[in-house]
Order: sequence, then structure tokens, then C-alpha cells
Amino acid sequence: MKDPYSVLGVSANASDEEIKKAYRELARKYHPDNYQNNPLADLAEEKMKEINEAYDAITRQRSGGGQSSYGGGGYQANYQQQQYGQQQYGGASSNPTYVRVRNLINSGDLQGAERILSEVGQRNGEWYFLTGSIAYRKGWLDEAMQNYTIAVQMEPNNMEYRQALVMSRQGGQAYQPYGYAGGGIDACDCCTTLMCMNLCCGGGRC
Amino acid sequence: MFGYVRPVRDELKCKDFDLYRNTYCGLCRTLRRRYGLLAPMILNFDFTFLALLLAPAEDRFTPCRGRCHANPFRRIPMCPESPELEAAADECVILTYWKLRDSVRDDGFWGGLPARLLSWLLGPAYRRAAKQRPGFDRTAVRCLGELAELEKEGCPSMDRTADAFARLLQAAAPPTGNPGRDRPVELLLYHLGRWIYLTDARDDLEEDRKRGRYNPLVLRFGPQGDDQALGATLEHSLNMARSAFCVLDLGCRTAAVENILYLGLPLVQRAVFDGSWKQIKKQKIWRTDA
Repeated sequence: MKDPYSVLGVSANASDEEIKKAYRELARKYHPDNYQNNPLADLAEEKMKEINEAYDAITRQRSGGGQSSYGGGGYQANYQQQQYGQQQYGGASSNPTYVRVRNLINSGDLQGAERILSEVGQRNGEWYFLTGSIAYRKGWLDEAMQNYTIAVQMEPNNMEYRQALVMSRQGGQAYQPYGYAGGGIDACDCCTTLMCMNLCCGGGRC
Repeated sequence: MFGYVRPVRDELKCKDFDLYRNTYCGLCRTLRRRYGLLAPMILNFDFTFLALLLAPAEDRFTPCRGRCHANPFRRIPMCPESPELEAAADECVILTYWKLRDSVRDDGFWGGLPARLLSWLLGPAYRRAAKQRPGFDRTAVRCLGELAELEKEGCPSMDRTADAFARLLQAAAPPTGNPGRDRPVELLLYHLGRWIYLTDARDDLEEDRKRGRYNPLVLRFGPQGDDQALGATLEHSLNMARSAFCVLDLGCRTAAVENILYLGLPLVQRAVFDGSWKQIKKQKIWRTDA
């Protein structure tokens, strides 16, 4: 097993407070919310497991060994309860073709799912929803949103379609380190644009 | 090639700036050693990023000293030669060559003359690079061919055209055999490729409209484009790239890559959106000291 201190990125003589802070920051980084419908959710989950174990090991060590963890236990439990992974396209369908398509999407066979969908003549809300879901899995946000929008227009009362549209509008989630206010383009102002001009080798000296 | 992928210098720690600059200089030297004196002309920030991303996850790195290409009397610190720098250099040559061939085809006889001359000069280097990386060369030819096809038929889906370019960039990471590293690197490069393609399309929007050339944004959003919708798509891709970056172990290069993904790219995007990018590009501050 890796050294628990290096997993948390702290030195072995760090204070309890520093360790807790490092742990919380990492837990925020690999939080399931950042990996909703993300193909790398399994890797994030592994990372989360690793830092949980490291934190547990350190707290156990510091509390004199033998005892179970103190302090952080509740915090970890919160995270462990949450689910990583992909949205599962469940059995909301009554049409056997669409059930097959949903199964293919769940198993990751997007090409197979696309092929079946392209052969469907009558295109209803579900067709557009599933087409959008495939696009979303591929990372094609624009097509996903277009298809979700049509699906919602055709069947405004379907919660599954509406939820998918709302989620896609959020524009994906990712961890934002402290100090990088908000991340996106909103956070920038004229000064930072000027900084951009002065990028790497500013002032002509390398 | 495009120069969009760059860090924000003011937000880098000194050691991370040094690391970035050493990688840049190391890539320059690798290009010169492998492809001759003209090759450093095609050096750019985008492939420096690739070199950073491909480098093994070491906690500390020690630069070596080498002669600066721009000023041979100066010896400066730079990254020692490594398989990753070589990969970045080879791919830089291959991609630049095919981009030039694209321009030769698209810009007509007179307009395409400079590109024709450059691609002729780069020809021998390209042939050597293609021999080194036949897989990447094939992917480049296939993806750029698909892209040209989509552009010719006037594909209205910006995702579909961006996908062709994104797959090309995705192939830029030679597999290491470790899925815990290969998968995130590929996803990161895929979404970075999407971002580059769409940002470039936004940058070319006005010119393409004037000349009546293909632009996916014109077909998707109309002649004025739609910065809000495009911004949402770009932000989504950036977030996907960032989430991939978070599960990667990049060792001492983490901070530099983080700076690029979280600060550099959004700033460039903003500059492209408000039109100031054209000015920034013309100034070429970074060229004077390379």
C-alpha cells in the first residue's frame, strides 16, 4: 500500500488540521457530483477509496492504533453513500426496440444503439431522448441538447426527458480548485485578458 | 499549430513557469535535432502542452543545459530529450504538414502558394516523422479526410465536425498500456480537440462568412453565431477535460497543466469571443524570445 501521507499530499509531520484540510480538498475533487455521467467515474471512485483509506490509516495511527477512526468517519460515510457512475437508462420504455437500445447504451455499445435507432421509422419523444443520450455519452453536448429539447417538446410531461435536458444545460461538472474563482469565462475581466496577452514569455525575455 | 493552449504566466509559480519554459525549449531542441534547422519554426504552445501531458509522473525533474536555437551563444536550461518530447515533436511535424496541405487545397493557386512552399520545405521532415509514427500519420490522414468531406458536404452539426478533429488529437497520446492513465489522457485530449476546433471555428467566423467558406457555427447558429450556446458547449468540454485531469497523476507537472486547463483556455476563449485574440496573435510577444 502507498504511504498514506503521500496519498493525501502532506508531510508525515503535518498537523491533524492540515491533514483534515488536505483530505477535504481531495474529497471535494473526487466527489461523485463531479463525475455524474462521466466515463471516468470508476477511476474517480477508486481515487476516493484511496484517500478514504489513507485518511483512515492516519487517524487510526495517530489515535494510538487499534481503534477505529475518529472525527472523519461521518464525513466519509457521507461520501460513500453517494453513487458514482452513469445514469442508467431503466425500464421506462414499453417499446421492445427502445428497451434494447437502452440496454446497449448501458453496456456502452453506442454504435449498436445508434444503428438500431437509425432503423426506426416512427420517431417519438423517446427516440429523440435516446438519440440525445447517445450524443451526451459521446461528449457531443450540442446534439444532445437539441435532441433532448425535441423530446421534451413532444412529451412535456415526461420527467426523464426533462431531467436530462436540465442536466445537460448545467454544462458538465468538474472540480474547481480554490483560488480559481468559478473557473468559467465569467470569472475573467479585462485585466486577466491583458494577462493573457502577456502569456508565457512576457516582456520578450525567456 | 493554433497556439490556443497556453498557460497564464502571472498565475504560475516560478518553478512551474521554469518547468513550462524548459519543456518548450526542450521541444524546440528535439525538433531541431530530429528535423533540422528549420523545424523549430513550427514549435508551438499546443504541442508543449502535449509534451507536458505525456511526460511520466515524476515528482521532481532536473533540466539539462543546452544551446538556445534562437541565440546559439546562450546556454539555457531545458528538458532533456525523452520519448515523450520525441512523440510530441514527431506529431507536431505530421500535423503541421497536413494542415499546410489542407491550406494548399483550400486557398486556391495563388492563395495557397505560401503553404505550398512551406509544405515543400517540411516534406522531408514529414516523411521521416511519418515513418516514426505510422499509426498517428494514418489517423491524421483519415480524420482530416473525414473533416474535409464533412466540410465539403456542408455538415450542419458542429459536434460531428469537431469529433473528426477531436479523434485526431485523441490519437496523439501513444498508449502506455496502463488504462488508468491512457483513458483519462485520451478523454482529455478528445475534449481539448473539440475545444480547439470549435474555438478556431469561432475565430474564423467572420472571415469564413465574408468569403462564403464553410463554418460549422454559421450553419448551426446562423451568420451571427451564438456565443452563449457555443460558450456552454465549450465549457462542457473544458469541464470534461478537467475531470479527466483530476484523476491523472502528473507529478511535478500538475500545476502547469492545471493552470492551462483552468485559466489559460478560458482566457483565450474569452479573447476569441470578444475579438481581442486577433490582436494578441499579431503581437507575437512570445516569438521574440523563443
